[in-house]
Amino acid sequence: MSDDLPEEFDLIVIGTGFVESCVAAAASRIGKNVLHIDANDYYGDVWSSFSLEAFIKLLEQPSNSLRNGSYTWHKSTEQEEQPVTSWTRESLLEKSRRFSLDLSPRVAYCAGSLVQLLIQSNICRYAEFRSLDHVCMLYNEELVSVPCSRSDVFNTKTLTMVEKRLLMKFLTACNDYGEDKCNEDSLAFRGRTFLEYLQAQRVTEKIANCVMQAIAMCDANTSFETGMQRTQRFLGSLGRYGNTPFLFPMYGCGELPQCFCRLCAVYGGIYCLKRSVDDINWTDSELLVSSAGKTLRAKHLVCAPSQLPATLATHFGESEPRISRGLFITSKPLGNEELNKGGGGVNLLRLLAANGEREACLIQLSHYSGACPEGLYILHLTTPAISADPAADLADFAAQLFETHASQILLSAYFTIAAPAAEGIANADTPILCTAGPAYEQDYDAAIENARQIFSQLYANEEFLPRAPDPEEIVVDGEDPSALNEHSLPDDLRAQLQDLEQAAQHMDIAD
Amino acid sequence: MHGRVKVRTTEEERERKKKEQVLKMRAYRAAMTRIQKKRSLSELDDEMLGLTVQILLRNPDINTLWNIRRECVLRKIAELEKTIKENETRDIQKVEEHSEGDKKTDDEKEVDKKEVLAQQLQSIYKTELELTEQCLMVNPKSYNSWHHRCWTLEQNPEADWQREVQLCNKYLKYDERNFHTWDYRRYVSEKASVPPEQELDFCTDKIKVNFSNYSSWHHRSLLLPTLYPNEQQDRPMSEHKLKEELEMVLTAAFTDPNDSSAWFYQRWLLGSGRQSEQSATVAAFRCWPYKAQLSLKSSYPELSQLTVQLVSEQQTLQLQPWKAVNSEKTQWQCEQVIEIEPSRDYFLDVAGQRKQLAVNPNDQSLYYFVPPHATSSCSKELLAELQTQLQSCLDLLEYEPDSKWTLLTSALLMRAIDVNSYHEQSLSHLAKLVQVDALRQGYYKDLSARWTMEMALAKWPTSSNYPQLFEMPTEMSMTPYAHYLIVADKISS
Repeated sequence: MSDDLPEEFDLIVIGTGFVESCVAAAASRIGKNVLHIDANDYYGDVWSSFSLEAFIKLLEQPSNSLRNGSYTWHKSTEQEEQPVTSWTRESLLEKSRRFSLDLSPRVAYCAGSLVQLLIQSNICRYAEFRSLDHVCMLYNEELVSVPCSRSDVFNTKTLTMVEKRLLMKFLTACNDYGEDKCNEDSLAFRGRTFLEYLQAQRVTEKIANCVMQAIAMCDANTSFETGMQRTQRFLGSLGRYGNTPFLFPMYGCGELPQCFCRLCAVYGGIYCLKRSVDDINWTDSELLVSSAGKTLRAKHLVCAPSQLPATLATHFGESEPRISRGLFITSKPLGNEELNKGGGGVNLLRLLAANGEREACLIQLSHYSGACPEGLYILHLTTPAISADPAADLADFAAQLFETHASQILLSAYFTIAAPAAEGIANADTPILCTAGPAYEQDYDAAIENARQIFSQLYANEEFLPRAPDPEEIVVDGEDPSALNEHSLPDDLRAQLQDLEQAAQHMDIAD
Repeated sequence: MHGRVKVRTTEEERERKKKEQVLKMRAYRAAMTRIQKKRSLSELDDEMLGLTVQILLRNPDINTLWNIRRECVLRKIAELEKTIKENETRDIQKVEEHSEGDKKTDDEKEVDKKEVLAQQLQSIYKTELELTEQCLMVNPKSYNSWHHRCWTLEQNPEADWQREVQLCNKYLKYDERNFHTWDYRRYVSEKASVPPEQELDFCTDKIKVNFSNYSSWHHRSLLLPTLYPNEQQDRPMSEHKLKEELEMVLTAAFTDPNDSSAWFYQRWLLGSGRQSEQSATVAAFRCWPYKAQLSLKSSYPELSQLTVQLVSEQQTLQLQPWKAVNSEKTQWQCEQVIEIEPSRDYFLDVAGQRKQLAVNPNDQSLYYFVPPHATSSCSKELLAELQTQLQSCLDLLEYEPDSKWTLLTSALLMRAIDVNSYHEQSLSHLAKLVQVDALRQGYYKDLSARWTMEMALAKWPTSSNYPQLFEMPTEMSMTPYAHYLIVADKISS
């Protein structure tokens, strides 16, 4: 294969997953010469989103990082008097491209690390989000919305007046935690569990559930400090965008790696998909990447574990099941009408099983997320893998969802996302920096931290993704940078100035 | 450097901004000079309108320019109307001149012409409305823009008020607390005769979004008394609705007790519905052979304007003139020779209110007295709701004994339920408030004095010393309801 790809780079990044794309963008941003390649014909690797057809094909072809795939089509058992639209396998596949099915779905805290990074780097101009409609919890087997904001607490019918006051008081205390005035009260709880603290606040059982399940996202063993920190993270993200503290990327999480790739490309990064790597060798000063009959040279190399050539994969440890995933397409949203106003909510639910020792995260997407056609809903179920059987790992959680709540599942699919156990990045035997695969987490904290670490290892004193200027701030070569460019003025003001200057020509004007 | 993005330094940026500023300033000066010159020449034409637009769009708060625009608009309208009139006169002449056959086609032409003129007129108004709309985008709290909008609509007999209501919806979506918009909404929704039910629903929606909204609570308080009138008029609205409102507002107060808007609305709900009394209501009256004293519940500007008569079977005596004794104008005196025959029945008649008078056994003077604030009764249903609310407050005080608003509210609730049996407890809440909210201790002390005095006055008519001796309940620095005490011969402390 002949192409006119240059052969020498500052950095070659293999794999276009979230972490790799972050590193590629950061390097390109500070002027490094970057080549970003991926063996797949799509962006995002295991962080990508797929059309329905492509998703099914993916499940049929197990890979190193995505395995144990299975799917089942369900016959609509609905015996309703007036089936509005009855969906079939065929009618779903017809709309295949209207789906955006995530392998690694996440929600982002409105003030969390992802949002901060997107704003700080100005990459947010490429991204679009939907504010989550509800954060839910299961209470007495019923799906209820957790009141997040002040107006939620005011409007909710599930809490009594006194409960409302207690919840607000508790949340205010958490919010002020760390400021001097509250230290006295909380000092006693240092080193104890968050649950103990919660109980000492004399809140009712329902409120304790709200806080533990949905707000602090704790279990019985979570320490007081961690619980406080998580509660603060939740509260700190309120009131920024929408009614809940969470955002979901429009058209699926697969959009995010592409936003970073775009910045990388804007700063001169070169992209090449469907380009696998056969082998990687190295000398003291550079790395040699053999790909499609060509040898590419780079000072540094960052690689996704899933795309390492077989010869090197062993250096980074065997790939193991990390995350067990369930994906369901249904024609009926979870929960009541209140939770699904206007044709379905984009909702979040944290589930617990095995006496609270295991947890799973459920994200319900309606067509408002841009990830599926109207009238259909995607349910993403995610839990840390404990076996190589994702369906078994998720059985307890799925039961909580589907046994007590009527649903109309049309397609259920399970798969495992695998990555080498080592969370580390470098291997002493090789100069290759390997990224960590997706971990089970809310938001992208671990992934961003991973990218940051790799970047600082490569370019110790450089800033990680500083703000990229807007087009109008950029000075064209040879232009006087302080000149007032007429075109930089707003259109109406420009027209106004012209008008007035004409009118003023014959007048005496004192400056 | 090749291939590198170059961004302006802050220094360069500042210099650019400065140049831009100078340009803008020149444009502003030029336009203002031109406008003033044109106005002095009375050139109120389209060019003038164009010039003012340019400046108003940047700064909608220059009232002079809005005034000039109004002059321009009025002139344009006057000219148009003149044309219309001229056409009409010509029309009449034509009818006189022409024979039957030609008349029809002329009529059609005339109709067309009229329509064109009417459209021209409407487009004048439309331009003004569009301008204010744009200006309000720049500054949604521009008094001048809102005023100009009202003015324009008032000029136009065919104004589309419904559209204005829609505009309010839109603006209140951007900022649900802009009181300008709420004021304007009241104005246009009346003009558009929006049903009050619909307005109330709108208010409720806005409260649900964010209840820290004085404007919206206020709007409610104006709608509810008309929508759900209370027949006895001792509550602001019907008991059924009042119950719902109380529940809603207490929920808001519990959600965020530091938000004062909800508490103020609640105080209004718990208050007696009577708006400031128009008529003078007699609180106390006393009459000796040489003078009469009259105390009113609330102040009245000039008592001499009312007919005050002392009526008995044998005669009717006009009491006149009255002089205010205190600065609040609640206590009045009339020095006049009055013949009193203690064995007769006397009545006091103030502008039609007739009160029977009693005789003071001590000095044979005539008197009348009614204690302030007779407790208003409420239905079982409302009472139950008040009691539930009080219980919620008391529960909350167990968790937060120092919560200021809860203390005050529970005291108010107690008094709404039963002034007598809760008297001591409500006073103890005020005493606690003096400690926890020392910044407002004067207010609480004053309130405490009022309640104590109300209680003492209410009990007084049943005491053995009535009406000669009134015993002050506690030592007070100022005495509320002092004007009620004209009936007593002696006040002991």
